[in-house]
Amino acid sequence: MTGTAEVTVEAVGLTKRFGGRTAVADVSFAARRGEVLGLLGRNGAGKTTTVRLLTTVLTPTSGDFRVAGLPSGRPRDIRRVVGVLPESAGFPAHLTGVEYLRYFGRLYGLSAADAGRAAERLLTDVGLAGRAYSPISTYSRGMRQRLGIGRALVNDPVVVFLDEPTLGLDPAGQRQVLRLVRDIAQNRGATVILSTHALPDVEEVCTTVLILDEGAVLVSGTVGDVTRAAAAPRSGQLRVPLALVGPATRALAEVDGLAVQASEARPDLLRIALDGGPPPEGEADAGLNRALAALIKAGVPVLSFEVEGGRLNDAFLAMTRGGGT
Amino acid sequence: MTATVAAQELRDLWVGGRGPVLLFAFSVVLSVVTYLTATNQVLNFLERREAVNLTLQVAVAVGALVTLIVSADGVSGERERGTLESLLLAPVSRRAIVAGKLIAAVSLWFAAFVVTVPYVWVLGRGVSIVGRALVLGSVVGTLLALALSALGLLISALSNSNKVSLAVAFFLLLALFAPTQLPGGPPQGWFGNVLDAVNPVASGLRYLSAVLVTGHDWTRDLAYLASPLVAAAAAGCVLLLTADRLVRLTGGVSAG
Repeated sequence: MTGTAEVTVEAVGLTKRFGGRTAVADVSFAARRGEVLGLLGRNGAGKTTTVRLLTTVLTPTSGDFRVAGLPSGRPRDIRRVVGVLPESAGFPAHLTGVEYLRYFGRLYGLSAADAGRAAERLLTDVGLAGRAYSPISTYSRGMRQRLGIGRALVNDPVVVFLDEPTLGLDPAGQRQVLRLVRDIAQNRGATVILSTHALPDVEEVCTTVLILDEGAVLVSGTVGDVTRAAAAPRSGQLRVPLALVGPATRALAEVDGLAVQASEARPDLLRIALDGGPPPEGEADAGLNRALAALIKAGVPVLSFEVEGGRLNDAFLAMTRGGGT
Repeated sequence: MTATVAAQELRDLWVGGRGPVLLFAFSVVLSVVTYLTATNQVLNFLERREAVNLTLQVAVAVGALVTLIVSADGVSGERERGTLESLLLAPVSRRAIVAGKLIAAVSLWFAAFVVTVPYVWVLGRGVSIVGRALVLGSVVGTLLALALSALGLLISALSNSNKVSLAVAFFLLLALFAPTQLPGGPPQGWFGNVLDAVNPVASGLRYLSAVLVTGHDWTRDLAYLASPLVAAAAAGCVLLLTADRLVRLTGGVSAG
């Protein structure tokens, strides 16, 4: 994806009120072909409402949007070019996977034969070919999510909206779904709008992010941009042999701009943090690397080292006042 | 597109859903009623034509009312099962969605009617009203099924939960069916007559009695069919015309 790729989703001042409550407030953004845009926010931040507005399930109170060049006033045409995996999507338990996708293929105007072929191909694409003729009631949650993604692709969409696609999945299931997300953007060239709580997912697959808070856009940009904008502090926690805590502490104390603190509960754990305000880009990594170099030079083996801060998770928590719900 | 939705709804009802169970329950009810009508010492004073009428009335009333229960689950049930949003996301008009559900619900009446045919035929042997009973029963039953299915879908679309929808539908069912069980005889007064006339179930069943038992010509009491006809047309039109506004992710009248 490049900055010159075709804009496929464009929202301008999108607002949705339910009675006196504003669920989405003046949201504006654009997404391009091949881009995976992560829509982040706390529970109730307006992510799902934004997705429902852009997919024409809800009508905006004010503002406007275009999807694949189609104006918001043509909802049925927009639904023809988008694929959606809704949050908590339900499935008819008595149908088989292939029957389910065939039905949706028919709803998108495919002939019975074409819908059948599309169903089989999509089930293969999402790794469910072996269970195509099993009732959905026998599918695991991960399989249902992949089936839902298959349904979202049945019309070969220009834009795919995935609302919490990895929610409740085990790590293997999450990995499969994220692989599919990447594949949709890279190989199909579709725009993916990924609404999620799972920040590691966003870091893994998203090219850009949009953080919503109380319905409004807090920040948007690449993962790196957003992380820097949050000015998240950089720190780390390392573990050294208990017998070498003294030499380790002394070695670290000699590193400029670094504060060292031992844990009372776990004396072998040392917490290190860069002094002062947020460092410029790249400086934080250099500071932490100097700490590691000092330990190695002092002959202290590092048993574990975990960097804190500087990740999207930290930026998210800082920006959304703790990320609580 | 209505045909695609209807085909799937029919499949959901008859292959994976409650259709066969409800039809079986209907058959049991009809069997019991027919048995009692034909053999019970207290009831066997009935003439054949009265026995046919009684069985047909039960079949029409129960068969049509069952469609109300099925349709009351149509929108609110899908909301709660999480399957409605996917349907709303497809490029299908909401009118086509409710039309498909209406067809599926009414199919339950047609199946019930098919089950009714042999019962009426057995009870009506020896009197020449079987053909007339089946034709009139199918007309009245179809009108009632259309009216009640459309009402059920309207209730379902407007209800905030499936429980509320089913409870309201059940109450409506009782309200429509209970007056038909009142003993006839003394005049009910103008208010009672008005209530009777506006109740499509009571009116429809009274029409069947007038033709099958009293022996009136089928054209003489057509006024009784006005209520079922108006109810079917009105409920059907309101449902189809307001589908775009009523079939939403959330129930009630104010959500957007």
